[in-house]
Amino acid sequence: MSTLSRRAVLALAAGAGAASVAGCSRGSASTGPLDVKAKTTIEVWSGQSDAAQKKMEALATKFQQKHSNVTVNLSPGASSTDQLLQKLSAGFAGNEYPDVSYAFGSWAGQLEASGRTLDIADKVKKPDVKWSEFTAAARGTAQPGGEKVIGFPAVVDNVGLLYNKTLFDKAGLDYPTDAWSWDDFKAAAKKLTDSANHIYGYGYSVSGSEETTWQFWPHLWQNGGSIFTADGKKAAFASDAGTKALTFLRSMAVDDKSVYLDQTDTKFGQLFVSNRIAMITSGPWQLSDLKTGGTKYGVVRLPGTNGDHQTVSGPDIWALFDHHDKNRAHWAYEFARWLTAPGQDEQFNVAIGNLPLRTSEASSSAVKKEAKSYPGYEVFVANSDNVKNTRPTTKNYATLSTEIGKAISAVLQGQGDPGPALADAAKKTDSQIAN
Amino acid sequence: MVVTPDIVDRPAVNPTARTHPTRRLRELKTALTGWSFIGPATVIIVGLSIFPAGWALVLSLQDWDGFSPATFVGARNYQQLLTDADFGNAVLNTVGYTLMFVPASVLLGLFLAVALNRRIRFIGFYRTAIFVPFVASAASTGILSTYLFSPQFGLVNNVLRVVHLPQPGWLDNPHQAMLVVVIMSLWGGAAFTTVIYLAALQDVPPDLIEAALVDGANRWQTFWRVVWPQLLPVTIFVVIWQMIQAIQLFDLVYTTTRGGPLDATTTIVYFLYDKAFHSLQFGYGSAAAYVLFAATLLITTGVVVYSRRRGSEDI
Repeated sequence: MSTLSRRAVLALAAGAGAASVAGCSRGSASTGPLDVKAKTTIEVWSGQSDAAQKKMEALATKFQQKHSNVTVNLSPGASSTDQLLQKLSAGFAGNEYPDVSYAFGSWAGQLEASGRTLDIADKVKKPDVKWSEFTAAARGTAQPGGEKVIGFPAVVDNVGLLYNKTLFDKAGLDYPTDAWSWDDFKAAAKKLTDSANHIYGYGYSVSGSEETTWQFWPHLWQNGGSIFTADGKKAAFASDAGTKALTFLRSMAVDDKSVYLDQTDTKFGQLFVSNRIAMITSGPWQLSDLKTGGTKYGVVRLPGTNGDHQTVSGPDIWALFDHHDKNRAHWAYEFARWLTAPGQDEQFNVAIGNLPLRTSEASSSAVKKEAKSYPGYEVFVANSDNVKNTRPTTKNYATLSTEIGKAISAVLQGQGDPGPALADAAKKTDSQIAN
Repeated sequence: MVVTPDIVDRPAVNPTARTHPTRRLRELKTALTGWSFIGPATVIIVGLSIFPAGWALVLSLQDWDGFSPATFVGARNYQQLLTDADFGNAVLNTVGYTLMFVPASVLLGLFLAVALNRRIRFIGFYRTAIFVPFVASAASTGILSTYLFSPQFGLVNNVLRVVHLPQPGWLDNPHQAMLVVVIMSLWGGAAFTTVIYLAALQDVPPDLIEAALVDGANRWQTFWRVVWPQLLPVTIFVVIWQMIQAIQLFDLVYTTTRGGPLDATTTIVYFLYDKAFHSLQFGYGSAAAYVLFAATLLITTGVVVYSRRRGSEDI
């Protein structure tokens, strides 16, 4: 589950349980050949609310003006984005599902397994789609099994290092730089920690959720490790690289005691805003909270291991669904393509504080404007280049994420040793996948 | 409805039974009235309880992730539960919680009820104040407890700091988290038992107590020999009720610890929620739900049978 979308939804949707769920489109199913002039209705579940939903509505209206024979039935689909999965599952059971739906990247594998998605692999090869402008991670998420492309990227994000200037000034330390290694990071965190006053150098979630897990991947990758074996059927994180990565985090949490171990996924962000935690690794969704809280902060890319500063990204997608109707399939595809083209993406993602989807937008005036009102935004935009590996979105990943999440949170709370804990988690993952 | 013309027609065919049609019409009317009263409730119960329960039983015999086609696996989910260390841990946690919560909430409720069962000034206010936490939703109680018991920034530890006492880790400490959950659920749980006991205490005939006092019993003896036996049926009800509540503990855990730290507060219901809705193992989660259902049924039947044997079947 991409934290960005979840947080964005939390921020935007706070209290808005609105989202009455419109029934799915019951447009007459035409089984004939494609007729782009025919009256067609497509159902779109946006997963958005409030400001973001308003922007979506404006864009849908524009699309309808461009194509007068197409009606876009736009609704949030569910009361919050993470409820969409259950709605889709129920929709499949009742044969009433949308043509286009927002979906967290982690669901991609399941959606593909449902057999209800469209495959647009051939269409996105056309040069005018400029598919390669999306990051590799975003493209990979839309292609969970490696073959079928089930939709377009919807939101991209990445993780960088946010530091609290107030606490750095108080401790008399220099601000982090692009060139930092994790050892620099660890030393600074130790100096910044003031246990008497409950001030911590770093914050890490030990809830065992995907938040715990995905923060670990940059460490694993930078040390040369990988999540799955090449065939994607076995866990590969229980390696020297994995042990090294977890030993590093353990030394901060257990030996230095410089880490605030968050039992929820949300507190460390709030404590950073209120000057209790000096550094967090988080994404662009944090910026609006920081602005509201008046926190003095800075952003740099993640610290590196031997000069490797790669980070992790959790892209979400617009999933496209098959209704055995060529017209609906055509317009669902066209709508998603149009929505994710630079002109529209600026009015949606960039306007609501998400990163631009395409590399071609990085220097656009919309991005510059956003960076002006949210300092650090431009660092995250540039940090997209440091997304080298794709977080898997296969069905097996959900299993793996749960097991390694448990192992990480146990070790960071002083139970067990990194090597054996990871080996045990890998064993459990493998046996569940084999079942 | 289609029956009506038939009934009206009948007198012509069978003239000997003159009184029959009106009576049948009346019976039909009564039946219809009855059904119209219970109809909505029946639809709701069948639709929202019995049907899902039946479906969950089917699910518990399947392997289903909500998207791919389900596969029938027979009793495999149940077999897997037997050897699942995480499920064992959840059962232990639930039993531990029940053993702490049920006696504590019953005794505390009894104590508060006796304390509130007297004529003093502002008694209405005190009774309301005790009952309010029961009305508050568990979600808000949970959020409140995260503010109270945060080890670094919580109110409880701030007070302890001021009086120079050691400050425990509370919700962040695997050994103490369940205790905090018990304390917070007692807040609402004891309010419920208090109200029940208060009502029962007011049903104790005053002449019995007077007679005991006249016979020379002191207040302590009066309570345990006269009042307490009168409260026994209510106590059995309260114990069963609180036990069912305890076994189904979920909301407080969900809003405070999410089963952590290190699974120390993962109850059976939280376990099955996590399996079904996070890991998307709907079959496995349903199997856990059915094990819980069986356990609840056994306990309830056991307590009822036991209490009937002791001759207090009027619960």
